[in-house]
Amino acid sequence: MVLSNTQTVNPVTLKITSSVDCVSPLGEAIQVLCLYETGSESFANDVQRAVVEALNNVILHAYHNHEGHDIVVQWKREDNRIRIDITDYGLSMSALPPPKLPNFEAESGRGWWIINACCDDYYYKVEEFIKRDRMYKENGQNEYSEQIVVNSHSNVLTLIKYF
Amino acid sequence: MILNEKKHGDIDVVELTGRFAMANFSDVRDRLKSIIEEGEGKLVIDMEKVTFIDSSACAVLISAYKGMQLREGRLVIVTSSIVQSLIELTRLHTIFDISPSQAAALLTFDES
Repeated sequence: MVLSNTQTVNPVTLKITSSVDCVSPLGEAIQVLCLYETGSESFANDVQRAVVEALNNVILHAYHNHEGHDIVVQWKREDNRIRIDITDYGLSMSALPPPKLPNFEAESGRGWWIINACCDDYYYKVEEFIKRDRMYKENGQNEYSEQIVVNSHSNVLTLIKYF
Repeated sequence: MILNEKKHGDIDVVELTGRFAMANFSDVRDRLKSIIEEGEGKLVIDMEKVTFIDSSACAVLISAYKGMQLREGRLVIVTSSIVQSLIELTRLHTIFDISPSQAAALLTFDES
């Protein structure tokens, strides 16, 4: 039976700690939200796969498998697409890894391939929250010195899939 | 994730049930390693009841495959539709020996 959604559940924000034990429940929640919104099991499975791989990457690489750090996942329907923002506060990536399949013998390195295959688009943003001090001295030349300190930052991976 | 082990003659059968992902991959990998080391070189990993699989689970399957190759043994895997689709997505189906059911997997050892 297919039920029409008269009320949307938009957006949904979920927060987990950086533990691998939290990934599966969150992945299942995302799968259910996508299934509810689109009625497509394959769509929901694809999104879950991408989200799980992204969360695994955050825990392993941004937080070096240390538990107790925050990961915030926002799920949102935007017209005919689902958008998921995954935010962490750990080590930032300097570039998005290429979505290449490694050699068969390699036991890791398939995550970005899966993300790339299961989403229509994705991008990564590092947001830095800075403190900027600018000191002016009267010397007749309108010169100043400036000090910029990054107080905190967040990394946001956005996954998009159309239905 | 539930891991159930049994023997069919000299064939080790490992049945996995539930989600096979990073949260349990090291437990499954270690258990499979022991089974491979102690076994007769014939192994079936039955994932017909696996409801989700990620890339870390793929790593465990590759590790088991390589372990069996080192012993000149043979690994046959049984997949659910969700497992099969990820294995195809990562092109591991071109390497793995895949059977549609545990019974069919066991039969392949009789043929070889």
